Amino acid sequence: MAKQLGMVIDAGLCIDCKGCMAACKVANEVPGDNWRNWIKSGDMDLRAQKRGRMVFQPGNCMQCDKPTCVSACPTGATYKSKSDGVVVIDRGLCIGCGQCIKACPYGARYRNDKLKVADKCDFCASRRAVGLEPACVSTCPTKARVFGDLNDPANPAGKLMAANKAKATQVVNAQSNTDPNLYYLGEAGLKSWPVKAQMPGAFEFWKNLADPAVKVVVGLSGLGVLAMLGKQLMLKNDAPPPEEHGEEGGHE
Amino acid sequence: MSSPKMIFRHTRAGIFIHWFNAACWFFLLFTGLALIQNPELNPLGAGYPNAVRAVFGGGANLLVAHWLVALIWLAVWVGYFFWGLSRFVAPFLHDTFTLEPNRDIQWMIKKNLQMILGYKMMAKLVKPLGYDGQMPPQEYYNAGQKVAAQGIIIGALVLVGTGFIMLFSKYFFTAADVWLVQWSITVHFIAAGVTTALLMVHIYMAAISKDERPAFISMFTGTVPAEYAKHHHQLWYEELEEK
Repeated sequence: MAKQLGMVIDAGLCIDCKGCMAACKVANEVPGDNWRNWIKSGDMDLRAQKRGRMVFQPGNCMQCDKPTCVSACPTGATYKSKSDGVVVIDRGLCIGCGQCIKACPYGARYRNDKLKVADKCDFCASRRAVGLEPACVSTCPTKARVFGDLNDPANPAGKLMAANKAKATQVVNAQSNTDPNLYYLGEAGLKSWPVKAQMPGAFEFWKNLADPAVKVVVGLSGLGVLAMLGKQLMLKNDAPPPEEHGEEGGHE
Repeated sequence: MSSPKMIFRHTRAGIFIHWFNAACWFFLLFTGLALIQNPELNPLGAGYPNAVRAVFGGGANLLVAHWLVALIWLAVWVGYFFWGLSRFVAPFLHDTFTLEPNRDIQWMIKKNLQMILGYKMMAKLVKPLGYDGQMPPQEYYNAGQKVAAQGIIIGALVLVGTGFIMLFSKYFFTAADVWLVQWSITVHFIAAGVTTALLMVHIYMAAISKDERPAFISMFTGTVPAEYAKHHHQLWYEELEEK
């Protein structure tokens, strides 16, 4: 099976310390109000008779198998890497249109305030390049996040997946299941937060109306030219009749 | 007539800007097409953007090349515009944007019929319906040239405007402005498509059709035979005669 980097997360271990969020921000120089990862928590019902228990759900870009962000990118600047399954962004090719940001059901993408292009978690590509784990994984004090190739039982994440295949859950919006590669063990906590994936209006207009209309217009123009060319080739001696042109003026 | 009398039609500056424009337009069209890479859009299939990106050493370089040529193209045009404003540009805009509805609509219909059917077929098929065999006389530009020029000028302005919005996105815009970028992509695509459709006819008429061959040659030499001018641009010819 192809390599697919992902995370297996035990939400029950998360203590909401925000260490992963701080470590990520530092490691990836994420500016100001931008965040690459998060910890979601539901509301605890304090009126309950039994002792309440809060479940914290750490997350980040889910490197989906069916990424709606990739579908929304007009230039191919964002794509799913064939070598490790991570959804990456070519910052040079990105024109900053923000369509991918709107298309992500998880809000995992943001417009980088400094670079002014789309940005998101890439499982710390720069750290992985030197053999380190993603910053959020290294820093987690309870080891709630386990990272690795989900399809390789020889590494910790793959091993957890192999052992918990049936029990692991994905957090998805039922209306647009992108098949994410973040799996949660045990109680995953809040599951209702992902939104339905939405394509921007301009993109829908392009895809459904402008693209076919332009193809028809250019096609008709091409057909017209071909028709004229065909006529020209078939009617070799089609000279204008001498009385064709007005002679009423200009001739000495 | 023994040796054809030639009359002046295009300045050297006009010939230069025409071919400079043509070269840039080709480059921008084919790099622009290669900048679209999305399975739901690819106008020429997925192989085309991949091949062009390989030539340019990646999509990021391709984008820079598209911008660079567009900016050079625009800079030369802006220079030409102000340098030749009163001599070439204003008369050109006046000529191309002045249509005489009755004469020009008639010409458009007859010319299109003639181009598709040919003179003989047209005489045979359309004469019984009251066709008089006369093309309405035309000015320096015929109605087809005027309509094409109008479309291409407006299309070019739209391409420049939306192009700048897309370029500015990475330097000046905030997250709140991106809707403008999104619509710019779509409108840029439409404008490129419409101008391409017009330019395909323009290229056929000039470079392939026999009727306008002298006009094509004049885009290199600057002159057209007087006979051609009299028959294809009668009003212009008469104006010259009067001078």
